[in-house]
Amino acid sequence: MSRLSFSHAASTLIALAVLSPVAVLVVLALGADVDLRGETVRLVANTLGVTALTVVGAIAIGVPMALVTSHCNLPRRRLWLALLAAPLAVPSYIGAFAYFAAFGTGGELEGLTGVAVPAVRGFVGTALVMTLYTYPFVMLATRAALSQLDGRTVDAARSLGATLPVVLFRIVLPRVRSGVAGGALLVALYAMSDFATPAILGLDTFTRSIYVEYNAFGLDRAALLSLQLLALVALVLVLESRVGVEREAAQKNLELTLGARARATFTVFMLVVLAAALVLPALVFGIWLWRDGAGDFDPWLAWNSAYPALLAALAAVFVALPVAHAAVRGQLGRWLERIATLGFGIPGIVMGTALLYVGLKIDFLYQTVALLVLGHVLRFLPLAVGPVRNCVARLDANLLAAARNLGASPFEAFARVSVPLILPGAIAGGALVFLEVMRELPITLLLRPTGLETLTTELWQVYEAGYFGRAAVPGLLLIAISAVALVFMLSGEDRLATRKAPRGI
Amino acid sequence: MRRRALLRALALLGPAAAAGMVRPPRAFADPSAGEPASVDALPLLSGELTLYLGRGEGGLYENIIAAIEKRNPDLELRVRRGPSTALANTLVAESRAGRVRADLFWSIDASSLGLVTRLVEPPAVPGPLSDQLKPGFRYEHWVPISGRFRTIPYNPQNLNAAELPDDVMSLPESDARFGWAPAYGAFQSFITAMRLLEGEDATGAWLEAMAAKSSEFAGEFGVVMAVSRREVDLGFANHYYTLRLKQGRPDAEVELAFTQNDAGCLLNASGIAILRPSTLANDFVRHLLTREVQSYLAREAYEVPLVAGVPNPEGLPPVDDLEPPQVDLERLGDLQPTLKLLRQTGVL
Repeated sequence: MSRLSFSHAASTLIALAVLSPVAVLVVLALGADVDLRGETVRLVANTLGVTALTVVGAIAIGVPMALVTSHCNLPRRRLWLALLAAPLAVPSYIGAFAYFAAFGTGGELEGLTGVAVPAVRGFVGTALVMTLYTYPFVMLATRAALSQLDGRTVDAARSLGATLPVVLFRIVLPRVRSGVAGGALLVALYAMSDFATPAILGLDTFTRSIYVEYNAFGLDRAALLSLQLLALVALVLVLESRVGVEREAAQKNLELTLGARARATFTVFMLVVLAAALVLPALVFGIWLWRDGAGDFDPWLAWNSAYPALLAALAAVFVALPVAHAAVRGQLGRWLERIATLGFGIPGIVMGTALLYVGLKIDFLYQTVALLVLGHVLRFLPLAVGPVRNCVARLDANLLAAARNLGASPFEAFARVSVPLILPGAIAGGALVFLEVMRELPITLLLRPTGLETLTTELWQVYEAGYFGRAAVPGLLLIAISAVALVFMLSGEDRLATRKAPRGI
Repeated sequence: MRRRALLRALALLGPAAAAGMVRPPRAFADPSAGEPASVDALPLLSGELTLYLGRGEGGLYENIIAAIEKRNPDLELRVRRGPSTALANTLVAESRAGRVRADLFWSIDASSLGLVTRLVEPPAVPGPLSDQLKPGFRYEHWVPISGRFRTIPYNPQNLNAAELPDDVMSLPESDARFGWAPAYGAFQSFITAMRLLEGEDATGAWLEAMAAKSSEFAGEFGVVMAVSRREVDLGFANHYYTLRLKQGRPDAEVELAFTQNDAGCLLNASGIAILRPSTLANDFVRHLLTREVQSYLAREAYEVPLVAGVPNPEGLPPVDDLEPPQVDLERLGDLQPTLKLLRQTGVL
């Protein structure tokens, strides 16, 4: 009982910390008026529309990918999985600009092949590009949910004559609904708060208006628009809360056997996704590298990117523990978790500006790595909470009681029972936070210590000035370092999988 | 440390390079001013200095800073890079909290300097610093460093240079297709200048007429690319985007046109404000006004030197042929009325 109230108290504090930037926004927005002349309706429609389309696209790619890479008879599944998760390492402005430059009349693709290709712009273009860089959220969340399914149900259905599609749509998918919804929520928040993709591809969304005001020194108006955007984010959170959670104790891994034609179809599908999300930007930046040369590059930037990201990942996991713990113990905890999720829907520049004001009130924090890490944790916390919650949910109080009965001290029971069960989720969640922080730009620009240059600040600098060739080396390094984090994350999930068998006995 | 940057930096500021440098032809030099100062004439810098640096031009400003650090080993320079507008907003927040952290703010656009002048109130610039600048570029609270022209990039396959009007206000009469970047700061400065020169009504009418003919892009490099790929016939962009595109692709289909004495050929400036005055901060600014740094900015970043007697970058017409309008650059920071106009006309 006392543990329960501890995690509730801690997650209340964390929810308040997430709300503190919102409070700053309210103060900044006092007295502001934005004369959008009926534009608000269009902004709401564009923002919600592109978010919905992105979510649909991410589910359409992410769910099949999760099934195929984890539960089907496909060779080299782990390699496919790692490759398919890699788009998480690509910053949105890099992906969007590659699409802007590659497609359309006179684009790089036309220059290369001589074949005219249509432009990727506007509403559909924005949704397409955001889908390519967010579907791994759905894929990873669905994968985690699938790993907890009991394969015997499927076997039973199959033995009763159900075909594979029937099994998928009537047995498998309904039971991973909440996992899919959790991933889709992250996609939705990303789509609502991303600035670069809609700006580069020419779609008017809330984030674009926020940036225009911020850059025109209308901080009060930017804050007011951010609060309006947050109302939309809250709406999405409420929608997600309506998807129910079902749990079952997995006794046997789910295994689906595909025919040769289905395997070939899925392989082509995966190749197309990879070509679109990774090969195309690499090709475009490769062309520019060849054209402009690489320029100078300071290898220390890689370390400057990695260590705040590592600190943020550790801190986020640490903070995620009580939030996840409270979240699996009733409605209050679920709502505290949702408040903690708000941060992922606050555009980075807004979160950064709000924390800059907080930091200026606490002098020893201002322009330190600590404040930078705090900003990253508040924004990316939900990425860690999801996987950790999945593991905490499996922490059976009876297991701990059994350990105590067998003579273990509370610490030993925690270290030998709780920690091994939570660790895979902690690694997976930490790796996701690491990936996001690595590609994050606006918070880094605003909150970092003076003189700390990272891979993304370097990318920003050369990109803004139009020296795209010089973006190639830092961009590739960013992806390479993130790949290491992905390997970590997947090995964490491996432990989860291998631990499952003995539990069922 | 970046070895190649340093090697280049040595070549940039070293005495050998200065001696071997081609002197500007007399015709380009302003007869009213003396020779631009050389870095060799400056005292060595020593002490701690914090610089907030807007953008930085893909490492080019960084090379200048590396060169200054190389020449002055006792200088401890802390550089904070960011978008000029974000740094200006940061400085305003710091000033409200009573703890401004920067000695110097080097901004790529005058509107951010206008905001900082108004809300952070830096002290007046010492006279000897501004005396080195071209007349018309002397401001009380900041020192202009280099300029960028508003230009009309056009596709020479689609349009003839002779068909282009030299008056930006008569462009709506053309039936060409235009490209612009209304969310981009430089475009908003251009419209602000038009407001100041032609008035609100004329600017509103111009925007309304142009909106029907124009396609929107995120940034001005995008505009220039769209011109070169014949997506639009002409556009509005700062001059250096075109020069840089042609640096990578000399055969790109894009040329520069200039209007005369109106917002279309506005000469906007990057500049530096001295927030915490000291001899060290002043001497640092004097480094940026030397012949070596000004020529480097012109040669490598295609920026227009603002110290008298340094030639314009290659690819721009000689400075005497250009006729930028007289605008108080500080007033370009007055962006809210511009946004209102852009929204009223449906451009933004």
